[in-house]
Amino acid sequence: MGTADFAVYLIDDDPGVLKALGRLLQTAGYKTKAFSSSEAFLDEHDPSVPGCAVLDLAMPGLDGLELQQTLAHQAADRPIIFLTAHGNVPKSVRAMRAGAVDFLLKPVKRDDLLQAVKRAANQDRLTRRAYAERKTIHALLEKLTPREREVLTHVIAGRLNKQIAADLGTVEKTIKVHRSRMMAKMGVRTVAELVRLTEKVSLQPRLPAADLA
Amino acid sequence: MSWVDRSLPVARSIEDVQYFLQITLLTFFAYLISAELGFFVGTLSDKIFAPFWPPNIVLLSALLLVRPGQRWISILAAFSAHVIAETRIGMPVFQLIAAFATNFAVAALSAAAVQRQLRERPLFTTFHDTVNFIVIVGFVCPAVVALAGAFVPILGGSAPGDFWNFWTQWFASNALGNLTLGPLALVLITEGRHTFWSANSARQAEALVIGALLVVVCSIAFDRSAGQITHSFLPALLYLPVPFVLWSASRFGVKGASAAILVVGIVLIWRSLNGSSLFLTGTPEANVFALQAFLICLAIPALLLGSSLEEARQANQRLRQDEERMAFVAAAADIGLWQYNSRSGSCWATDHCRSMLGLQEDSPVTRDAILSVVHPDDRAFVHDAIVGIRDAEVPAEFRVVMPDGQMKWLLANRSINRDASGTVLNTSGVVTDITMCKKAEAEAEAQRQELAHLMRVSQVGALSGGLAHELTQPLTAILANAQAARAMLAGKPRDLKNLAEALDDIIAEDLRAGEIIQRLRTLLKNRKVEAEAINIHNLIDSTLHILNSELISRHVKTKVIVAGDVVAVEGDPVQLQQVLLNLVMNALEAMTKTDTRRRILTLTSQCINDQIEVSVIDQGAGIDANDEPRLFDAFFTTKERGLGLGLSICSTIIERHGGSLSLRNNADGGTIARFCLPARCAKGG
Repeated sequence: MGTADFAVYLIDDDPGVLKALGRLLQTAGYKTKAFSSSEAFLDEHDPSVPGCAVLDLAMPGLDGLELQQTLAHQAADRPIIFLTAHGNVPKSVRAMRAGAVDFLLKPVKRDDLLQAVKRAANQDRLTRRAYAERKTIHALLEKLTPREREVLTHVIAGRLNKQIAADLGTVEKTIKVHRSRMMAKMGVRTVAELVRLTEKVSLQPRLPAADLA
Repeated sequence: MSWVDRSLPVARSIEDVQYFLQITLLTFFAYLISAELGFFVGTLSDKIFAPFWPPNIVLLSALLLVRPGQRWISILAAFSAHVIAETRIGMPVFQLIAAFATNFAVAALSAAAVQRQLRERPLFTTFHDTVNFIVIVGFVCPAVVALAGAFVPILGGSAPGDFWNFWTQWFASNALGNLTLGPLALVLITEGRHTFWSANSARQAEALVIGALLVVVCSIAFDRSAGQITHSFLPALLYLPVPFVLWSASRFGVKGASAAILVVGIVLIWRSLNGSSLFLTGTPEANVFALQAFLICLAIPALLLGSSLEEARQANQRLRQDEERMAFVAAAADIGLWQYNSRSGSCWATDHCRSMLGLQEDSPVTRDAILSVVHPDDRAFVHDAIVGIRDAEVPAEFRVVMPDGQMKWLLANRSINRDASGTVLNTSGVVTDITMCKKAEAEAEAQRQELAHLMRVSQVGALSGGLAHELTQPLTAILANAQAARAMLAGKPRDLKNLAEALDDIIAEDLRAGEIIQRLRTLLKNRKVEAEAINIHNLIDSTLHILNSELISRHVKTKVIVAGDVVAVEGDPVQLQQVLLNLVMNALEAMTKTDTRRRILTLTSQCINDQIEVSVIDQGAGIDANDEPRLFDAFFTTKERGLGLGLSICSTIIERHGGSLSLRNNADGGTIARFCLPARCAKGG
């Protein structure tokens, strides 16, 4: 069952299909919103609102695949379920590669659709959770001074204080101070915890020039 | 040279000798005998002498019969006979020569006149020729030569004051000879000797009966005692032989007429010689002249009647021959000839025409008999064609049912004959059998239909992907609605209002699916072409519906600009839709390489002077100038997988609807395919 703020965006050029799919999803407790074209959907799209999109592959104007691409460009990580009248292997491969949740054939069975939507909802929830986490981590990183941030990149690369000090051209003691402040600001006690955090935001460890060589 | 060739002149000279002897002897003896006969008649009675001089006819016949180069022989032979005969009765030499000279002159003049006529056609076959003969041979020649002939008795010692009496005698005897014995002799000469013997026995018997009756009737009519009893019956008695003379003339022509006159003359002479004739009332000269005048007066109308009947008979025969020839030619060309007389309501038809119509050979051809074999559906129309109500310019095609039940198609070309007031006098014409033609036409038409149908099927096949998509939409909606309804039933509380809406939508979507299938079925069906009133705009809508998925998947936008009028076209909706489908598909395929933003398909329609003009405009590459002349050729294609039949079939379909299809390059790039159809354009709607 859907969550209170989760919405399913239905996009299909056929009003009959739109209405019927909306009705079906509503019986499963989902909120739905119908759009008769990709353009209409994009005009109103708010990536921050939780939800997934159910797209018809073939539509006048922007078709399903083009809409998927446009969303990807906008970095709007909206889970997409494709619906199509005829299975077209190249198109389905392209869709799945681009991260589609599912590729369903019309006419679609209730269970298949609901399962796909459920998966999409899950994915959306996870994405949104990860997004929120990353947002917190970024906020923590924002609080660091440039020097503490520099030290952080060295720490997650597994360098010793002594080595860091040598690299940065300072004394070990200073590094120690920066390090402890940094760990406090990030809210971690161990290097392992710090590494897990920074990995989530894909922060790259600073490797010494020698190691790189 | 072979010996045969050398022997030819010898053979001819033997023939020549035989011929020489023949004519010499024949002319000699005929002249002699006829001269003796003339003298004999003259000696039998003191009240009459020979009313004409038979040797003159012998001379005339000899001149006409004998080959030009050898006429002198016959003249010489005749002269010798003349000398012998005249010397025997003691005629002086001068008189004898003068007599022969005048006799020869009249014969030669007459022969010349007859010969001129003979060059053109047989004697006495036209009324005109006979009149000429009577005037020239019967009157002018004897009259002229009589001026010399009258001197012969004067040379013999008679009184010169009697010149005109002698002239009259001389003229009358020659005129009578030429008018009675002359024609008979000439006809027998020109027709050959076998005239009588080659005739069938019935005609021979008829001739003999007429002859016998004439002898009897003349014997009674010219009997002196009969005339003496009462003179008021005299004219009637003189008319007694007339019916028999006319009978003979009407049955046997000129030869019959002159033979009858000869019989009358012979009987008359015979009665006169016996002294019991009506004509023996005065001097021998007067008696003979009366007799001659009577016979001449009787001969002239008989000859004229005989010749005009002969002319009519020959014209009739020619007509019959022409008719037979025409009928034969017509039958050989498999053409039937017919005529209908509006006044009498009678019909005439050649035998071949009857057999074409399947009529019995011995049954009479009537209008009703013809109409009875005509196919019931064509009967009214054929009736109008026969009686001339229908215009002759349009050949009438109709069906007839043969006795064996088979149907035949006939074509009648007619001409209508009207009088000054425009009333139809008769209609006539020819009938040709066009069954094979019709059969071939029907086969060709069936093949065209079959081909058009196959093309439709292949078109639908090419569209199958899009059409499946089109059909899947309502199916998706139906399934989703049904499953929603099912879920609603399980829910508590049941949302009945929403449930009813879902069911309503199921019904609507199902109908929509049905419509799509119906459209396809119509296209796929191989049915007979049926003309009906079509709204061309509905047809455009329906076509775009069928192609909806195709348009979407090809990223083509459509623009439809239709005339605001209600446009009704008479035609077959399936075939016209096929044309639209084909033209739109061509347009879509032409735009495969066009930039997506420029892929616009424009459909326009407008009414111009009772014509609807529909254009399908694309934004493709246009038509290559090299391809242009071959666009409508069968099996010509520029597509990789095309058959090259699409445009050819479209063009045929449009032409059969009385319109035209054309393709040309658009000024803004791309192609305009345009067809015009006769239409009723009404303002409004």
